[in-house]
Amino acid sequence: MNIVDIRNVSFAYARNQPLIIDDLSFSIQTGEIVGIVGPSGSGKSTVLRLIAGLELPAKGSISVAEKVVVDDSTFVPPERRGVGMVFQDYALFPHLSVAKNVEFGLHRLARSERKERVQEMLELVHLSGFEKRYPHELSGGQQQRVALARALAPRPNLMLMDEPFSNLDAELKASIRSELREILKKAQMTCLFVTHDQQDVEDICDRTIRM
Amino acid sequence: MSWTTIRRSMKKHTNAWLIVSLVGAAVILLPVFSILVSLFLEPNENWQHIKEYLLTDSILQTIWLVLFTGLFTVLIGVGLAWLVAAYDFPLKRFFRWGLILPLAIPPYIAAYTFSTMMSYTGVVQKTLRELGIEANQSWFDLMSLKGAIFVFTMFLFPYVYLITRSFLERQSGSFIENAQLLGRRPFSIFWRVVLPMSRPAIFGGVTLVIFEVISDYGVTSYYGIHTISTAIFQTWFGMYDLDSAVRLAAWMMVGLIGFFLVERVLRRQRRYSTPTAKLNPLVPKKLKGWSAFLAVACCGLVFAVAFLIPLLQLISWSALSYQDVLTSTFTELAYNTVLVALLATAIIIVFAVMVAQVCRLQKNWFSYALSKMVTAGYSIPGAIIAMGVLALFVWLDKRLVPLYQWLGNEQAPLVLSLSIAMLVFAYVVRFMATGYNAIDAGFEKIGTKYAEASKLLGRGMTATFWKVDLPLIKGAILSGAILTFVEIIKELPLALLLRPFNFETLSTKTYQFASDERIIEAAVPALFIIAVSTISVIIFHQVGKRLER
Repeated sequence: MNIVDIRNVSFAYARNQPLIIDDLSFSIQTGEIVGIVGPSGSGKSTVLRLIAGLELPAKGSISVAEKVVVDDSTFVPPERRGVGMVFQDYALFPHLSVAKNVEFGLHRLARSERKERVQEMLELVHLSGFEKRYPHELSGGQQQRVALARALAPRPNLMLMDEPFSNLDAELKASIRSELREILKKAQMTCLFVTHDQQDVEDICDRTIRM
Repeated sequence: MSWTTIRRSMKKHTNAWLIVSLVGAAVILLPVFSILVSLFLEPNENWQHIKEYLLTDSILQTIWLVLFTGLFTVLIGVGLAWLVAAYDFPLKRFFRWGLILPLAIPPYIAAYTFSTMMSYTGVVQKTLRELGIEANQSWFDLMSLKGAIFVFTMFLFPYVYLITRSFLERQSGSFIENAQLLGRRPFSIFWRVVLPMSRPAIFGGVTLVIFEVISDYGVTSYYGIHTISTAIFQTWFGMYDLDSAVRLAAWMMVGLIGFFLVERVLRRQRRYSTPTAKLNPLVPKKLKGWSAFLAVACCGLVFAVAFLIPLLQLISWSALSYQDVLTSTFTELAYNTVLVALLATAIIIVFAVMVAQVCRLQKNWFSYALSKMVTAGYSIPGAIIAMGVLALFVWLDKRLVPLYQWLGNEQAPLVLSLSIAMLVFAYVVRFMATGYNAIDAGFEKIGTKYAEASKLLGRGMTATFWKVDLPLIKGAILSGAILTFVEIIKELPLALLLRPFNFETLSTKTYQFASDERIIEAAVPALFIIAVSTISVIIFHQVGKRLER
């Protein structure tokens, strides 16, 4: 099944500005881990934001899990696309604890199930015991794993990651890379991520898209 | 933009928040439109009279007042800003924020305090007589254009001082150091570098001063000066001619719009921005000996005249009168004031949050226009807003007569325009900008990433607001609410014009005591207003400190 299907998408920030993305098409199969690479300013992050519904393409259509989410007559808002995203700076809610952050997207589950799912997720990212901490009390690597757990918790169809390693030290990067691949494969997650680091691509991706 | 892109964009952005914001913005703009409509109606016979006897004089007086107040506030404001930013001297840390305090004293209170102090029985002349000096009365006559310029200058200069000082402290370092290295003397640096460079900041400050001056009713009416604002009031209070008062307000509005258009065009050619991204803060130079003494004396003199002396005088008057004034009537008065101010503040904050939310989630020309419309009230003089609101409510009442009759109320054709709703609505129109700007700054600081993360976790815009945005902008909302609340407590012209019969607020009572020559009684409510305003000045200062960090 095609989890993402992008057809002839174009995008510009304003109508009088040049196109950042011009007639882009690609698709991703279930369970694939795909990297988007390219020089800065080539619109890599914008592709993620378009799929998530945070930006609006000027032309073309996007489908997620075989359902059209945007074309000339449709716009499905981000909250109903079933897409998870890990932001470049993680965007963990500073006023909520780790457990509350992970629980944030689980409002459709019953209360008891929520607790269970939070525990499950924290175990998956090796952060059991950190429930009561606040984001500012965590290291960069830990914050990233909380962000990952938070995005995985509602079981999205697709995970988007925007430069997930750019805020980590070089030493951390290597260990986290292999850990990430393991977590994603264990969760059977389809993932699209943006990077400018060739090493990321070689270590994690099944294939790459060049922009 | 093609039709499909517009349709796409509408699909993305249309939601309940946007619709409420649009309806609200339209309601806020209604009074302005209701004023401008009068330009196209046939004038009545009073209008000829007003044009002949009132108009020219009041336009001239307004221009003189604005011109000289503008000039003197720039002199004092920029001079002190430069002194505090560029030099170190004893007590500087105190004066740095103490010089903002005059903003806590509303000019109309200062006006009657000073004129009473300077009168024949006032403290100044009494002291002089005791010293055996027989003074010429004309030296002390404040009840004139000169006096009004003095009062406005002393109590409004902090706007210029504040904006210019923070500009100088933050961005002028490298330019001034360069000028020094190029061999310029301090005076010539001030004249040839500092002044031209800080022109945008100075202009921003003076604009605020001018808004306050043309909007004023308290000082000018007490000193018997005819400005356009007082002319509008006289037409309404003296002749009960709503049509002519509205027409006058409309022409004033047209004049203001013209002024701002001309200013826009003139300024387009000289917009400065700093070419380098890196800005050096200015390192203050230490003053010693005579020059240090002179600096302290300058700051001290201004601080004393513009804050300390009137405050002490008011305190000593209220010591004489508080027993007569602080009765149950006064409690009721304070309660009224707080209640109306709270109600208006609550409406402003709720609406400001909604509009700021809509604007930050769709950054385009449309949201820019929306935010400008909603905050337009701040640049419109109180008298114009008052007339617009009055005209609007009277019109509404006329339209609603069948409804009132159906409800069994045959005798009272005026319901809305005699209710407190009218005053609250006017406050909302006038002070929306105060609340909006504070909340907008709060949203600006947290950015959109948390809201985006929340949406991707399946929460809609409203749930996101309650769970994420609101907890993160609590502080901004609180400071916005306090600033708005204080502005409303201080406000005079709207309250005076639009309050229901027998309804008094602290400011109208102060003004009424003062114009009945019961100055000593007026001191008590005046001190209440000053105390509340001081809180807002302190909050303003604290917020500024946090932003600088």
